[in-house]
Amino acid sequence: MFVQQLINGLALGAVYALIALGYTMVYGILQLINFAHGEVYMLGAYLGIIVLGVLTYWGVTAYSLPAALLITVLVSMAFCAAYGAVIERVAYRPIRNASKLAPLISAVGMSIILQNFVMLSQGKEYKNLPPLLPSEGFSLFGANVSPVQMIILSASILIMVGLQFFVAKTRLGKAMRATSQDRVMAGLVGININQVISITFMIGSSLAAVAGVMVTLYYGVAHFFMGYLAGIKAFTAAVLGGIGSIPGAMLGGFMLGLIENFCASYISSVYKDAFAFLVLIITLIIRPAGLLGQKSVDKV
Amino acid sequence: MKKIISISIIVMFITMASGCTHQDDNVIRIGAAGPMTGDQSKMGVDLRNAVELAVAEWNEKGGVLGKKIVLLAGDDQADPKQAVSIANKFIDQKAVAVVGHWNSSCSLPASKYYDDANIVMISPATTNPRLTLQGFKRVFRVCGTDDQQGKVAADFVLSRLHPRRVAIIHDKTAYGQGLADYFKKALGDKVQVVYYGGIIQRDPDYKAVLTTIKEKNPDVYFFGGIYPEAGRLVRQAKEVDLNIPMITGDGVFDTTFISLAGKSAEGTYVTFGKEPTGLSTAKTFIEKYRAKYGDPGPYSIYAYDAANIILSSIAETKSTDGGKIAAYISKTTFHGAFGDIAFDKNGDVTKAPYVIWQVKDGKFVEVP
Repeated sequence: MFVQQLINGLALGAVYALIALGYTMVYGILQLINFAHGEVYMLGAYLGIIVLGVLTYWGVTAYSLPAALLITVLVSMAFCAAYGAVIERVAYRPIRNASKLAPLISAVGMSIILQNFVMLSQGKEYKNLPPLLPSEGFSLFGANVSPVQMIILSASILIMVGLQFFVAKTRLGKAMRATSQDRVMAGLVGININQVISITFMIGSSLAAVAGVMVTLYYGVAHFFMGYLAGIKAFTAAVLGGIGSIPGAMLGGFMLGLIENFCASYISSVYKDAFAFLVLIITLIIRPAGLLGQKSVDKV
Repeated sequence: MKKIISISIIVMFITMASGCTHQDDNVIRIGAAGPMTGDQSKMGVDLRNAVELAVAEWNEKGGVLGKKIVLLAGDDQADPKQAVSIANKFIDQKAVAVVGHWNSSCSLPASKYYDDANIVMISPATTNPRLTLQGFKRVFRVCGTDDQQGKVAADFVLSRLHPRRVAIIHDKTAYGQGLADYFKKALGDKVQVVYYGGIIQRDPDYKAVLTTIKEKNPDVYFFGGIYPEAGRLVRQAKEVDLNIPMITGDGVFDTTFISLAGKSAEGTYVTFGKEPTGLSTAKTFIEKYRAKYGDPGPYSIYAYDAANIILSSIAETKSTDGGKIAAYISKTTFHGAFGDIAFDKNGDVTKAPYVIWQVKDGKFVEVP
């Protein structure tokens, strides 16, 4: 059963990691905790249900399930990227140079607006998605790895490797790193900061969309409040790994998923959240910048 | 300029405050309280609709005591803190009686406020036995209790399923944990309980607990809780390859459970009251409800009866005094849509027949 718990924990952790990446990328560039990010994840989940519904209506799901799922993820990513860019443009850019607290309040406000927008337009009820994929997967050391778990794990690892490559090797990635080191200086050497920041938000939001769609496939439910708890957990994962660090967010996400699962199975399922935060506190006492975070000297 | 603004703000506040205190005393106010937002929202909305239906019928006949009846709806969000603030709101609005709340964890703290404020409370769905054992004269319920329900579930498990090992989980609420405890008590030592533990409501992932349960190799598992969690549990149980039946209580008896869980819901046992459709009065209610609001939930009819009991008691006693109404309710047999209802000295119904239902082909079917 240890293997089963390991797989459950990794699948949960992959979702946390995908959301945490959005937090950590935005923080790396703007030193802003984008509290509306959890809401983007929730939007991704809703979009997933809507697109899947439309595709089923058109008969695409019956024709080819993998194609339908791929289209769903891509459409949801595109929409959420647009949401991310608009959120940045509307809520953060006008007050970018104001005091640090102003964008933070703006983020909380944005989060409430999005939540209420979905609540009013989609209703307060839980949205259900009937199980599309079989629950029986392949057997690994006596554990059942369901198809959804396989999709979650492989997709998220692929995305994370891709992102790491993008940030480390491409021109735009370099511009991103430069902007995160010193925004003013990066602007002076000719980097279009507004564009870089917009793209960062778009990437982060589309990753949240992937997480949203996969979670709906995994658990079969979406509701307007789901972004809150997931946002908090992913933010915790980002802090655990070292906020601002991309590998840190991945590590933090997987660690949080595993800690929660093992605590729930071997200690008590009731105290799993408390235990996750206990680990966070201990980590921060030993390493205040998180596991892979770097101590910043000049940034406050 | 500044002065003008501040004065106008003060004036605004004063007018708003006076607007709050102004109340029309020529009406009778009845509260309906339950979770109307959040994942259990269907239950609260069902409850409110049913009370609204009863109130509308009475108003058509000219109200009660020559006054119009006004429905106050209170959304407690299935949260005990919110329930108390709803109770205080109803007290401020001078409600005569309240139909609610739905969750045991909400009814228990709110009941004290109603009783102290001389307001009659009839819960259509709170099954935790403690509700009517607090010595409150104005608190009633029209449904059964969890000790009865737990015993029916345990008897069924022992006599029909013959398990050797049983696992028990609950959602840590007054209802869920209470029911799980009564079930465990009713099992006695005739069977081995290999797992007993809580889960967190609204948590999306229960795979860890289910995997642990699978490791203990039980033949059946009991869940004390409400349908959103039950739906996720049965669905995820299949994913960790836990293929044993779940038995659970009235909080899961709603079609939402089946739509949440899909095929995984098949075979789940649920304790609930007998099907009401055999009664002609129940049929009339269901038709009227369906015409106005759509499909009635499991507890709509209980809420409708509760509202009618309150309104007819006000009419009979010609009083809006909570104490007098309560005294009348406790010694009268009412002819509700759901059959005859009479209360014992605590405020429980005298008969509460629980039966076992099972999900078959996407529907709840009574197990003979």
